[in-house]
Amino acid sequence: MKIVTLERILKLGLTNFWRNRWLSLAATFVMTITLLTISIFTILNLVIQATSESVKSKIDMTVSFYDNVEEEKIQSLETALATMAVVKSTHYIDKDEALSIWQTLPIKDRTKQLVTKDSNPLPRSLQIKAYNPEDLSKVAEFFDNYKPLISRISYENNKDIIQRLINITKFIKQIGWIISLIFITISVLIILNTIRLTIFTRKDEIEIMKLVGASDFFVRIPFIIEGALYGILASILSTFLLYLAIHFISPMVSSYLGTVAFDLNLFFGLNFWRIFLLQLGAGSFIGIACSLFSAHRYLKV
Amino acid sequence: MKFFFDKKNENGEPNKEQEGPLIEFNEVSKKYGQIIALYKVNLKIKRGEFVCLVGPSGAGKSTVLRLLIREEKPTKGHIAIAGRDINRLRHKELPFLRRKIGMVFQDYKLLPNKNVCENVAYALEVCDATKGEIAHKVPKIIELVGLAERTNSYPKELSGGEEQRVSIARALVHAPRLLIADEPTGNLDHDNAREIVQLLLKINQAGTTVILATHNRDIVNNLRKRVVTMREGKIISDQMQGKYII
Repeated sequence: MKIVTLERILKLGLTNFWRNRWLSLAATFVMTITLLTISIFTILNLVIQATSESVKSKIDMTVSFYDNVEEEKIQSLETALATMAVVKSTHYIDKDEALSIWQTLPIKDRTKQLVTKDSNPLPRSLQIKAYNPEDLSKVAEFFDNYKPLISRISYENNKDIIQRLINITKFIKQIGWIISLIFITISVLIILNTIRLTIFTRKDEIEIMKLVGASDFFVRIPFIIEGALYGILASILSTFLLYLAIHFISPMVSSYLGTVAFDLNLFFGLNFWRIFLLQLGAGSFIGIACSLFSAHRYLKV
Repeated sequence: MKFFFDKKNENGEPNKEQEGPLIEFNEVSKKYGQIIALYKVNLKIKRGEFVCLVGPSGAGKSTVLRLLIREEKPTKGHIAIAGRDINRLRHKELPFLRRKIGMVFQDYKLLPNKNVCENVAYALEVCDATKGEIAHKVPKIIELVGLAERTNSYPKELSGGEEQRVSIARALVHAPRLLIADEPTGNLDHDNAREIVQLLLKINQAGTTVILATHNRDIVNNLRKRVVTMREGKIISDQMQGKYII
């Protein structure tokens, strides 16, 4: 393509954008909302995911052994566990460690003092984490064969709670994506309609251009440029708004939830360019695709 | 497609198509739903001719012109321009045909978001004209149609007559081989109309084939050119130095 054509087309696109500035502005705002919706829901899903992962990673099971079980036996069990595909980590807690954990527990000092190094009734135990907490049931089955050695399996007591926790996180994750998809679809439809409207108002114009001898390409390109402009401006605006929102909301969220499972501010800072470029890409793509789609039907003249 | 109308073909030899008529309508019919706009029209127009197409409104004049730039396709029959059947042009080839034709539309068809200068320049821009060409030709033609002072006005700021002259300027600016004018004097007063007709004559003398569709009896009678008269979708008379007969 000749440079003169490219320059001409660029100019046409920019001029069109400016001359239809109210419609362009409306389209840019709707696009901003679309991008914000996409970003907010994506980030929300990331937060949900991170939170549920952190909840999940805290789920473990503790198997306590009778004091008469030999140390070697426990260690051989630990090695056997380590070979299981579902097991993420095992940790052996001996009497000394059990005592130090005991001492950090939030209980009365008098109770604490009942256990000392010399008279330590606390059992030795294996703390087991699975990649997927649901698989802890398999680990529990593994210990079925060693029942005589075991004084207590925490899993048996917590089974229902763990299962419920797992179900809830799963549900929240799925619902999160479904709601996001619904909102993203709605906002994409709205932007499609807005761009269709801006192009519909110029349907006669397209027809005239064609009758005067413009090729489809020549007619279409200014619309593509306008579509891309909506995307570019909207992504700048939306990134800025997102920054503001996160900057002000993040401390509130942290103080409300107490734990910092997911530092939004940090996340935004680290991924600033990725977030911006993704929005830019998504915005330009949506803008251009909607413009092409909307202009297509009027080009048949 | 680029050698539409051209005197020489790709090999540099004289184009054989050059010898036949420029425009040939062969048994052309056009229906809009149940309404018959054209019925078995046969018409030949030679290169360099000046043809007046006359007849009452609804006679089919505008349909003939619309078919020529392939704004519409005939229901039946064939239309050839420079020996090529334009019904069989592919969608991609249409712009090349239209760039060789200048059309003055009855409803002007100006781009509302462009000023006078840009509207005229658009016809050059679509054919990849250089900036220099545009800067040179556009002001000249705008002056020729008497709109030098309105260069930066937008169509909605112009009167009907002025819009019509912009439409004429746009049709002329790329020096088309065929000029089609649909009621170009419809909104002009007597003097302006005569000026426009003089302009068309001048262009015709320079070698451009001109088809002028009009109601204006005086213009047709003073021109003493070929007159094709239409009525109810048919050609009812075709005289070489004709008069307005209806």
